[in-house]
Amino acid sequence: MATVAGTLARPANVGVWSWITTVDHKRIGVLYGITAFTFLLWGGIQALLIRTQLAVPNGTVIDAERFNQLFTMHALTMIFLAVMPLGAAFFNFLTPLMIGARDVAFPRLNALSYWVYLGGGLILTSSFFWDAPSAGWFNYVPLSGQTYTSDLGIDFYVVGLLTLGTSSLMAALNFTVTIINMRAPGLTMMRLPVFVWMTLIISFLLVLALPPLTVGLIQLLFDRNFDTHFFVPEAGGDPILWQHLFWVFGHPEVYILILPAMGIVSEVLPVFARKPLFGYPAVVFAGVAIAFLGWAVWSHHMFTTGMGTVPRTVFATNTMIIAVPTGIKIFNWIGTLYGGSIRFTTAMLFSIAFIVTFTIGGISGVMHASPPIDGQHQDSYFVVAHIHYVLFGGAVMGIFSGIYFWFPKMTGRFLSEGLGKLHFWLMFIGMNMTFFPMHFLGLAGMPRRIYTYDQGLDWGFWNMFATIGSYVIGISIIVFVINFFRSMRQPKTAPNNPWDAATLEWATTSPPPEHDFDVVPTVRARDPLWYDRDHGIEAPEPTGEHIHMPPPSYYPILMASGVALLGIGVLSHLALTALGAVVIIYSIWGWALEPTD
Amino acid sequence: MSHAEQASEVSEQHGLTVRQYLMIGAALTVITIIELAVSYSDLGSAMVPILLALSAVKFVVVVAYFMHLRFDSALFTRMFVGSFLLALAILVALVSLFWADSHTLPLK
Amino acid sequence: MAHATAGHAPAHHRTNTGTDNRKLLMWFFLGSECLFFGSLIATYLIFKGDSVVGPFPHDHAGEKGILDIPVTSTSTFVLLMSSVTMVLAVYGAQHGLQKMMKLSLLATILLGITFLGFQTYEFRTFGHEGLNLGTNIFGATFFVMTGFHGTHVGVGVIYLSSLLLASFRRSGLGPEAGFHVETAGLYWHFVDIVWIVIFTVVYLIPT
Repeated sequence: MATVAGTLARPANVGVWSWITTVDHKRIGVLYGITAFTFLLWGGIQALLIRTQLAVPNGTVIDAERFNQLFTMHALTMIFLAVMPLGAAFFNFLTPLMIGARDVAFPRLNALSYWVYLGGGLILTSSFFWDAPSAGWFNYVPLSGQTYTSDLGIDFYVVGLLTLGTSSLMAALNFTVTIINMRAPGLTMMRLPVFVWMTLIISFLLVLALPPLTVGLIQLLFDRNFDTHFFVPEAGGDPILWQHLFWVFGHPEVYILILPAMGIVSEVLPVFARKPLFGYPAVVFAGVAIAFLGWAVWSHHMFTTGMGTVPRTVFATNTMIIAVPTGIKIFNWIGTLYGGSIRFTTAMLFSIAFIVTFTIGGISGVMHASPPIDGQHQDSYFVVAHIHYVLFGGAVMGIFSGIYFWFPKMTGRFLSEGLGKLHFWLMFIGMNMTFFPMHFLGLAGMPRRIYTYDQGLDWGFWNMFATIGSYVIGISIIVFVINFFRSMRQPKTAPNNPWDAATLEWATTSPPPEHDFDVVPTVRARDPLWYDRDHGIEAPEPTGEHIHMPPPSYYPILMASGVALLGIGVLSHLALTALGAVVIIYSIWGWALEPTD
Repeated sequence: MSHAEQASEVSEQHGLTVRQYLMIGAALTVITIIELAVSYSDLGSAMVPILLALSAVKFVVVVAYFMHLRFDSALFTRMFVGSFLLALAILVALVSLFWADSHTLPLK
Repeated sequence: MAHATAGHAPAHHRTNTGTDNRKLLMWFFLGSECLFFGSLIATYLIFKGDSVVGPFPHDHAGEKGILDIPVTSTSTFVLLMSSVTMVLAVYGAQHGLQKMMKLSLLATILLGITFLGFQTYEFRTFGHEGLNLGTNIFGATFFVMTGFHGTHVGVGVIYLSSLLLASFRRSGLGPEAGFHVETAGLYWHFVDIVWIVIFTVVYLIPT
């Protein structure tokens, strides 16, 4: 097969062009990771601005309009551009390695997912140059309707989320197929690493939860731009419909954010407790149960809309039931630690902190499940405390645990444990200083999303306390960034399996070769590397056979630019949308005819 | 894994004959005509269930035979039917929540 | 095929479940589409009968309904027949009957375009009779739901036309012709079953 359009001569593994055209799941994982971390920093800066404004009563750092944009964009950035893609970074890099595959089922589709994500992220973030979305991350109508918000901000929200949804849908379909169909010999479903199980579960959730949001976004777009009245009661519509469609997506989304972290913790704890995960089937089925029940609880975000006794009771009960599988997981993690011979590495510290802080967030979550209590907490800082305990104390702590744990595998280098522990303690203390007082503030009546508050309300002390905490978090992130750049200047000294871990990604070199494994491993037990170690089974010798890997392609980025044009056209001139459609069709044709052998 | 592979070998050979496909097409047409007749008739409260049942039959026939789900891997059936049932459940839940406001569903 | 492969090379005999990766992806994508159209249909049902002003879909308080059931029944029949020709195209492709495959694909494409013609006619007529997106909640739910269905038919027409064009290359659709046409068929039939539901819910069931 000679060089044909789209196929590039090899080897082309260095330089910018090799990254732009890469279809290697590891490189795509790295791209996701770097992009998402950049957005995490940006979202953090937004948070610091918010906290600075709120540090003292009658703050004057930013005005009300900018404040509305900042809390909206802070949530959108952290949820859609940072935490979800950081999860994606891990499951891109790790899933094929953990299941003993050479790549994902659809390598080019995987690259397309990343480039569409980047496009959506840039569209959403660029809104600051015009009008940033300012109606909160769940963007309730009528506030987000044309009447009350006539600027472009909400349209940026709609287009940004539609684009990001497309990216997530493609990634989720890809990983579902990969995990179901591309496991190494002997790797049955009940031997899958828990992280891979959680990836499979969130893939299912994404594929099925995104369409209702898509429909809601389309209706909002039509209401704002094409004269429909889906959410206008005077014309027969109903604003509550937006809330329902949003939360049908929004509640599974909460599990999409937290399950990757739960998967990471379930991998890290056994390695550093030096014993297998306690109750593996229970952890897996609890994950499945959470995902399943997660579909039947969405209206607990809407108790105060007045749904009637029966729906309130049903949704409250379902929500309380979810605490059961969540509790099962927590007890299994504690059971894993119990009697273990624990190594307190930085990764381990983050995982243990995850259990503690996530449990606090989980408990305040169960409190909201009760409609009368929810009525008191609704729109107060108590809810802000809850979401940050599960999202920061849960998801972000889990993600940092994963970064310290898999850094040697991803780069061949170790992060410094000394700086890592400094990072951990600063972040753990800062996080609790910032978010724990918000419980008090909420119960003292401070509403969320107010841009300032008066002197005599007695909210000043805890707000200042929380602001100091947020700066401590900021310092901890600086420590991490220093640690990262220092480590990247070290030589690659990491052996294949520096932590004596049990899963397949540790059977190959650090970092892994392009084709992942010289010989596709055979799995004989749930913790394959420990089984092979204990039974004296040597790794098979490479046979030197030619391993075919899919060639790089520029069609993914070309097609992603078409998708971005579709969205930009909706925001500016429809001619651009038409151009985007042409680019997409051209790319699909080129894609389909491109040789992959 | 061997029996799964075998199953896929067999399934690719499966399917119906051209004649059978045409017969199914004719049957679907007949059902559509019956649906039309029902919608123009005066069957009162029985009408909506009958219409829903008839379209469900058409739905199942197309999925099972035209889309080969009947002959193909059970995995496809699980993926598609599972998603469909979830969609149906959410549809019923949403519609009930809203109709409880404006109609007479006893949810209050 | 002596060397190991990665990605989606024709390795479906090597997958864990014996299913082809691409077909599995298509089926699960259609599962996602169930939720998409489910949400649109739910919206239609939620607002059924909530229009404040006319035109109304069905006969209402002495006013004649705007829906033209005989015309739409014809277009429904057209789409149903396109499913029959589609399944014949798959049959032809899987049994190496090139001519049958190409003719059936062409027939499916033409029937699909005919359906879109009917829909354009219907939308224009409604417009002339004073029903637009902003007229009432029926207009909004109806045009958005059937419009997105029509978009899916349009995408299907482009999909099948691409296959038909490719089948005239010297190598045709390659050794996996049956597979490619079958996967396209899954999408096409799905668009048809969505219409089966919409036809019943919107046109046949009265207010």
